[in-house]
Amino acid sequence: MIRTCAQSTLRASSRLSAISPRLFLRAQSSNALTKTQPPFTFSKSGPSSVKYTSQHEWIAAHQDGTAFVGITKYAADALGDATYIELPEADSELEAGDSLGSVESVKSASEVYQPLAGTVLEGNESLNDTPQLINEDPMGEGWIAKVRLNDLADMNGEELMSLEQYEESLKEDH
Amino acid sequence: MLGAIHTKALSRGAYFKSRCFRRYVSTQTPLELDSTARDENYADLNYMYTDMFAGSDVKSPVVGTGGKEGLSEIDQLNAEISETYDFTAQPLSGHELEQVVRSAGRFILKSLSNNPYYNLALEDYVFLNTPVPKEGLFSSERLLFYVNDRCVVIGKNQNPWRELFLDECSKKGYEFVRRKSGGGAVVHDLGNVNYSYLTSRDLFRREYFNKQIMNWLVHAFPSASIGLSPRGDINLDNKKVSGSAFKVAKGKSYHHGTMLVNADLASFSGLLKPDFLKGIEWSGGSVESVRSRVTNLSQMGIGNTDTFVDICTEGFKYLMNENMPVYWADESYTRNAQICETISHLKSDEWLYDSGPNFTVSFNGHTINVEKGIIKDSTISEGIGSHFRDFVSLLRKNKHFKTDIEI
Repeated sequence: MIRTCAQSTLRASSRLSAISPRLFLRAQSSNALTKTQPPFTFSKSGPSSVKYTSQHEWIAAHQDGTAFVGITKYAADALGDATYIELPEADSELEAGDSLGSVESVKSASEVYQPLAGTVLEGNESLNDTPQLINEDPMGEGWIAKVRLNDLADMNGEELMSLEQYEESLKEDH
Repeated sequence: MLGAIHTKALSRGAYFKSRCFRRYVSTQTPLELDSTARDENYADLNYMYTDMFAGSDVKSPVVGTGGKEGLSEIDQLNAEISETYDFTAQPLSGHELEQVVRSAGRFILKSLSNNPYYNLALEDYVFLNTPVPKEGLFSSERLLFYVNDRCVVIGKNQNPWRELFLDECSKKGYEFVRRKSGGGAVVHDLGNVNYSYLTSRDLFRREYFNKQIMNWLVHAFPSASIGLSPRGDINLDNKKVSGSAFKVAKGKSYHHGTMLVNADLASFSGLLKPDFLKGIEWSGGSVESVRSRVTNLSQMGIGNTDTFVDICTEGFKYLMNENMPVYWADESYTRNAQICETISHLKSDEWLYDSGPNFTVSFNGHTINVEKGIIKDSTISEGIGSHFRDFVSLLRKNKHFKTDIEI
């Protein structure tokens, strides 16, 4: 699905030579952050950086060091209908790679990891009553945790991928 | 029975071969030359064979196995085979387990233990320690088999009081267990065998492995009415014989399932709660079980769990196109610190009772709100702040008030 999307995007963009393929992909990708929800609207100018992990988490960091973490559209689609989201407790101090929570969907329990070291400010309580938000808007309303990063500069770490790199990794794997 | 022995012999052979990379030749002449054969006319021929079997290129085994190093390789192989036919499986040590699990490559692991905590901890150990290559193809699929003694097992995100008649389970001798995968409550006994297929997260397809099992069963028993339910479970005569659950973490995934072969289904009744019980209401995020009618594979002629394991062992080798090794695990021998820690964790009250989703229960006009196993809010004020599990046992003794509701 994603491959087809990307391919047709590329085809389309080669016709529309005025638009760079990169920008076009960003506008079209379902793994891009939803612009109308807190992960994006938390600060006026939007997040200063959005990155992706190989475990299919996204992290959107704002200038003040606050970041939102969730799972990508690709991951949410692969997991299927979510029935329960295990949220992290506020004030937990997590290292990069620590378990942040988990998503149960159709009998599978999937771990979600903290992409970068930081302290949990809150879990997204609306997922308690409406776990389906993970499927409906995983890149926005279905955010899992709000954290304070230990160091905003960690967003530039080599382990994290840009949207383009993430989409590229999906094409390689599948 | 013969089938079982045959497969075990195969398994042992594969185990032996993969561990040691041995050639099946002896450092001694494999046949005694009698006096007539010593005829000089045949000397060249005879010595040619002697040289062939005991040439200088025959090296001693790459890896010695304790106590057998003095024997020729053929003798060792023979000893292995005779061990096989006596059948005492030789389990991996904790250290050997670590080596095979951490190295890339496929294998099958069969547990000799019937302890559910050990078996789940062993599975978790293999899952967490299987390597995932940074680049390139994942080629470390693993298949585990274990049979648990009587127990009721709930999913990671379930509420035990909502799913189980805990008193009845304990009265009938069914241990209460919470697993790390998702899904609903199931009952195990020695007539049920569990399979666990491990692969990478990228290769995770929910229905893939049950489809394989279904194919193998159909191949072995063409006339049996085997199929997959809409939920991906394996059905026999439209009744469920197998339940599945999945776990995804650290770039890997496993699909584990139960397979009822000759379980004592009659004694399972009264252990799992129905969807609704009069007089009590539960709410909260916990994952609910889907109740199904069940039957045994024995209905189609598979008499014991070993037969099912053998069918899957052969099917899996065929599927992967690889005569992969089959290892054995024994509770008292195949263990290490990590496995022991997981066993303690799985047995702890925190994991069993407190780790599920928050919930609210209402009965007899009372409402109790529980978060992380602790009563946060309640119309029975004495209970606030205590563990719900402790409160329930007080309730059973009617310490707080009379109720005929069983929680």
